[in-house]
Amino acid sequence: MSTRNTPVRWVRENLFSSVGNSAQTVVFSLIILGLLRWLLGQAFAEESNWESVATNLRLLMAYNYPTGQFVRIWVSAGALFFAVGLSFATWNVRPMIGFRRLLTTLVGFGCFALICGLVTPGTTPSVVRTSMFAIGGVLVVGGLAAGRLVPRAGERNVGFGRLLVAVSGLAMAVVWLVPFGKHSFIDGAIAVERGVTIASSTKMPWTVLFAVLVSTFFAGRAIAVRIRKQLKIALIAWWVVGPAFVLFLVLRDPAFDWSRIWSVDVPIAAAFALGGGAVLYVLARPGREDLARVVGALLVGFALLHWVAGFAGWYGMLQKVRISFVLLAIAVLLVPTFAGERRARLRLSGGWIGLMVVLHWLITAINTPSTLVISAPPFIGGLVLTITIAYYVMLASFPLGVLLSLARTSKLPIFRVLSTGFVEVVRGVPLITVLFFFSIMLPLFLPRGMGISDLAAVFTGYTLFSAAYMAENLRGGLQSVRRGQFDASDALGLTTVQRTVFITLPQALRVAIPNLVGQAIATFKETSLIAIVGGFDILRIANSTIPNQPDFLGQKRPALLFVALVYFVFTYSMSKSAQSLEKKLEAGRVR
Amino acid sequence: MTSTTHATSLAADSQRRPPFWRNTTLIKWTVQVAVLFTVLAAFWFLITQARSNLSARGIPVGYDWFDDPANFQLGEGIQTVDSPERRLTMSRALWVGMANTFRVAIAGIIFATIIGVIVGVSRLSKNYVARRASSVYVEMLRNVPILVQIILWLAILGSIGALTPDTGPIKGWVIVSQKGISIPRVFLADGFYQFLSLFLLLSVGIWFVRRRLVARQERLGGNQHVGSITTALVVAALVVSWFANAPMAFLRGVFASLESAWGSIPQVVVQVGLAALAVGVGALRVRAFLQSRRTPAGLAKLTDDDWFRLLFIALVAIVAAFIVLRVWPGLSSWLINSGRDFFGVLSDKFGDGRGTRPLDAMRPTLSTGRFVNYGTTGLTMTVFYASLFFGLVFYTSAFIAEVVRGGILAVPTGQGEAAAALGLSRGQALRKVILPQAFRVIMPPLGNQYLNLTKNTSLGIAVGFSEIVQVGQTVYNKNSQTLAVFSIYMMFFLACSLTISSIVNYINRRLAIVER
Amino acid sequence: MSIADQSLTTELASRNDVIVCRGVKKWFGDFQALRGVDLTVKDREVLVVLGPSGSGKSTLIRCINRLEAHQEGSIVVDGVELTNDLRNIEKIRSEVGMVFQQFNLFPHLTVLDNITLAPVWVRKKPKADALAKAMELLERVGIPEQAAKFPGQLSGGQQQRVAIARALAMEPKIMLFDEPTSALDPEMIKEVLDVMKELANSGMTMIVVTHEMGFAREVADRLVFMESGEIVEVGTPDQFFSAPREERTKKFLSQIL
Repeated sequence: MSTRNTPVRWVRENLFSSVGNSAQTVVFSLIILGLLRWLLGQAFAEESNWESVATNLRLLMAYNYPTGQFVRIWVSAGALFFAVGLSFATWNVRPMIGFRRLLTTLVGFGCFALICGLVTPGTTPSVVRTSMFAIGGVLVVGGLAAGRLVPRAGERNVGFGRLLVAVSGLAMAVVWLVPFGKHSFIDGAIAVERGVTIASSTKMPWTVLFAVLVSTFFAGRAIAVRIRKQLKIALIAWWVVGPAFVLFLVLRDPAFDWSRIWSVDVPIAAAFALGGGAVLYVLARPGREDLARVVGALLVGFALLHWVAGFAGWYGMLQKVRISFVLLAIAVLLVPTFAGERRARLRLSGGWIGLMVVLHWLITAINTPSTLVISAPPFIGGLVLTITIAYYVMLASFPLGVLLSLARTSKLPIFRVLSTGFVEVVRGVPLITVLFFFSIMLPLFLPRGMGISDLAAVFTGYTLFSAAYMAENLRGGLQSVRRGQFDASDALGLTTVQRTVFITLPQALRVAIPNLVGQAIATFKETSLIAIVGGFDILRIANSTIPNQPDFLGQKRPALLFVALVYFVFTYSMSKSAQSLEKKLEAGRVR
Repeated sequence: MTSTTHATSLAADSQRRPPFWRNTTLIKWTVQVAVLFTVLAAFWFLITQARSNLSARGIPVGYDWFDDPANFQLGEGIQTVDSPERRLTMSRALWVGMANTFRVAIAGIIFATIIGVIVGVSRLSKNYVARRASSVYVEMLRNVPILVQIILWLAILGSIGALTPDTGPIKGWVIVSQKGISIPRVFLADGFYQFLSLFLLLSVGIWFVRRRLVARQERLGGNQHVGSITTALVVAALVVSWFANAPMAFLRGVFASLESAWGSIPQVVVQVGLAALAVGVGALRVRAFLQSRRTPAGLAKLTDDDWFRLLFIALVAIVAAFIVLRVWPGLSSWLINSGRDFFGVLSDKFGDGRGTRPLDAMRPTLSTGRFVNYGTTGLTMTVFYASLFFGLVFYTSAFIAEVVRGGILAVPTGQGEAAAALGLSRGQALRKVILPQAFRVIMPPLGNQYLNLTKNTSLGIAVGFSEIVQVGQTVYNKNSQTLAVFSIYMMFFLACSLTISSIVNYINRRLAIVER
Repeated sequence: MSIADQSLTTELASRNDVIVCRGVKKWFGDFQALRGVDLTVKDREVLVVLGPSGSGKSTLIRCINRLEAHQEGSIVVDGVELTNDLRNIEKIRSEVGMVFQQFNLFPHLTVLDNITLAPVWVRKKPKADALAKAMELLERVGIPEQAAKFPGQLSGGQQQRVAIARALAMEPKIMLFDEPTSALDPEMIKEVLDVMKELANSGMTMIVVTHEMGFAREVADRLVFMESGEIVEVGTPDQFFSAPREERTKKFLSQIL
């Protein structure tokens, strides 16, 4: 009996084993080919002008960011790539991909490209069809040949580093060698120079970015062997604070009024950082728990007084002072829980000082006017806006979601009712109504004289919305924590806060990670709704800005298909990595 | 035992109260009440702030704009224009929006389910092409935001040929064009409600007859033709109520008198009734709580925590009663008015010399380059409806396919093998053995997807489809009543989610009982 | 009654009372789990609680460190009465160690972190001291080589010994054992019982709920027999096993021996 796995045999067994099977093969093939042809027809219909996308790439990516300052976008992207490369190395993200599987994927892609080339309707430009055939042919032939020529292809694995180098190299080769043509859009007029590679003002930065990505990955892998733990802490800090740094300092370029900063902002920040740090250090000495509670309760009253006074108009005060007082009150209330010997106290004070410095610096930066000269007000737009909003919504809704889920699973009835009510109401209404509500009502809810930008209002609404879903996802994790864990931590004398921070949350988070990643993907996709409430995200630009340009009047389909492709690439890669993460978690869970 | 008396004497001074700042019960409740108070205060502050901000712009907050004329036209729906015989008021416009939402949501749920089940099952097919094709379908559709898909559909559909009297594919019957798709339609004609009420009436009779028949069957055994007699009776009832439903016109009078009776309920009665309801519910909860603390040996001693709970329940009940009585009399008048209107609408459906034909059919009608919007004409799917509908159906079906696949995979493989061992074909095994079991796993996430689809209908605003959110936006752009419109949004969508989740829960319960 | 018994009784009488329960009653809904329990435990005494399942043994010891709040009666532990006083609860929890049937180790922390968590954050000990103490305890329970592992990588007996070490790390005056060997495979029971015997010999005050009769006979100073939320009989092991006074005790012993 022959066990040889020939293609003919495979086809017979898998596609035409019975009448029903053959019918399925034929029907589904026809459907797929028909759909593919239809989709390609939509993309390359006679009236579709893909130059509308090529010319407007800058608009789609970064909206109206001033051309002269564009280096800021590249620096930000560089910071992002830097952190990504380092994070990949530090968290040891290296899925080993089987060499044969990689080849199969490539050959599959090649076949797909060939089929596309075959079914493209007559309206397709011949260069597109030719390149489809060329790519398909190279992939299929190359893949099959590599499978034959490389010895022991079945056992080999391709490391993540090599894959990264290969993908980056390929991307660079395409950018440097393929004659896409130079497209530029200057003062409302398009200038297209065909037959050359893309403009070097695009090529160069991308080359640097990929170089940064690859080199930080390998550098990080070398360093992480020694100081993985410190690197992890530093990177987490960067992922929390760094994006704000990029957004408000690099991209927004605030025009700092240094004399005011030295005379007002720095003294306030220093007072809170050092004073608060000292208070925490003193109160955190073991045995002063009661004192800390009393001081904490007094501080809560004191901090709330400032808010009430502000709303009632008794006396004015800088908002950041109010916020700092509230934070200080919370920190002092938490002191008895995290008090300890000298090192623990120093860490507590150090953490507080760091928090104050970052917070005050951020508030100052946000409140300082930007120096950018922009034709339309929001200084971010396009894909940059999409990514920024999605990232910040996840980041900001996380603590809120944790609090809500804790309240909902708590034994205290009022907390439970409040949290359940909020979560269920928010989950019951569509996101778009929440966004409308906040963009229209939030300015009305604020006291007179206090303003908020449209984007900030929408962001607030989106964060609250996301927090409700986050709470629901975390609740599943919290409920999976066994009762015995509570008994054990109570029997050891841990306080409720300690139990939550050290025992319950870490276990719950581990269970909830797959759901949270799913939520991150959903959040990213739903960021497109910003287009409806007035933000200039990539979808809005494709749907209303480009079709209104005189050169591309009514050109919607190419840009929209491009947007769909961009979203697809992001979400598909996210969901694929989520799947591998889930597998890894499942394998790592020792029962 | 001798020690019991000793113990009880000690028990009196046992639960000594610690100083208040270390009393865990007291701390717990103080913190809770403080947080509740802060939340309420924040709400109160925001509302007053919004009120004062709005009144500074001369916009009063309330619901008394419901009967104002709309002064705008709706894109589509059961009533789109304001005409002298049929006023399009603000509230009427909102109703039309809700109806449009339902139109998309219900059709979308049906089609998304059909496609989703087919694709989900194909993903587990033995056939390579079917498996690949459906997984490509799922990945492509669920990884592109639904809003992008909807807008893309609009761009694609908008590029189809223009609407002329000769537009095909089948001229006059099936029309596909830039403006939408139109096919012949069956619709509810004048006599439908009379037909329905007569049929329901006859059905009650048939039910009694059937019960007698079943009893006879059990008594006599053999074949007493229960099924065929029932079917014949149902057919007869259908025929009778189709042709002879005119007598049911008397219901008009009944509903009209109910309308006036309901409308004349004094507001005070409703207010007191609602207040009594609040207090009654509170009292019942207190009773239930005490019941749970009751032991065979009498009422257990209530702890401080229990006292706080009782106090809190009582407080909430009293506050609710106070709100109904003093703060918000509008609630009661709203209940009276909507009850009255409900009966009014019902009475309009009967009598008054109308035809008795319950159903009617019609071909698409064109009037100068556009479809006749609604009424006795063909079933038209406007391009706006179509793009929203296609977007919703395809996007949701990808998720439903995943749900179905997960459900089938959750059925132990032994079940499929057992079915195969019994000689069932793969299709039979799927239909008779695996899907019924998978259904229980599928139901809750499926309900979630239905909910998502319903909420996503709100994206119709991006393509200008007149669903509730879009109509609401038009309304508040006209009269600036944002708070009121948003509260209507909230009520509407919460009602939708409650309905869907209660249906899902009901089916789940049924399945669980069947299993036992 | 033998002379040894008598001398033990007199000796016990001279020691301090560490736990005093008076008329403790506890309901779960309308089920009464404890129907007025009176019990006194002396310093350095090993008390074994026996009884059929559902007799309220576990509830009793869970009330002693207030994992459950009793509703009537009083419990005084080491001179501190258990009420809803925040400070008293904190104090008692850190002075009463507890070992559970299901081990209840923290699965996301290593063995060392499991043991040092409470000393660092509750007792506010310096981390280095806590670590040294933890290693010492691991030596004592015989598994120092497992320090860096996670609970999921250990056998049941090893997990239970880690749990004992974790409770001991708080340097408690009293240890409560809630059926510590019931979830273990037979071959692992001995290693846990050996640790407990060693602990008893070192003079720890212990209340042990168990079904291990051999352990009870060998280690216990007194035995308590509970049924349906009441204490039926209290006695020394010899008297209890050879000449039970109550009819219910006899019936129970005949069922299990």
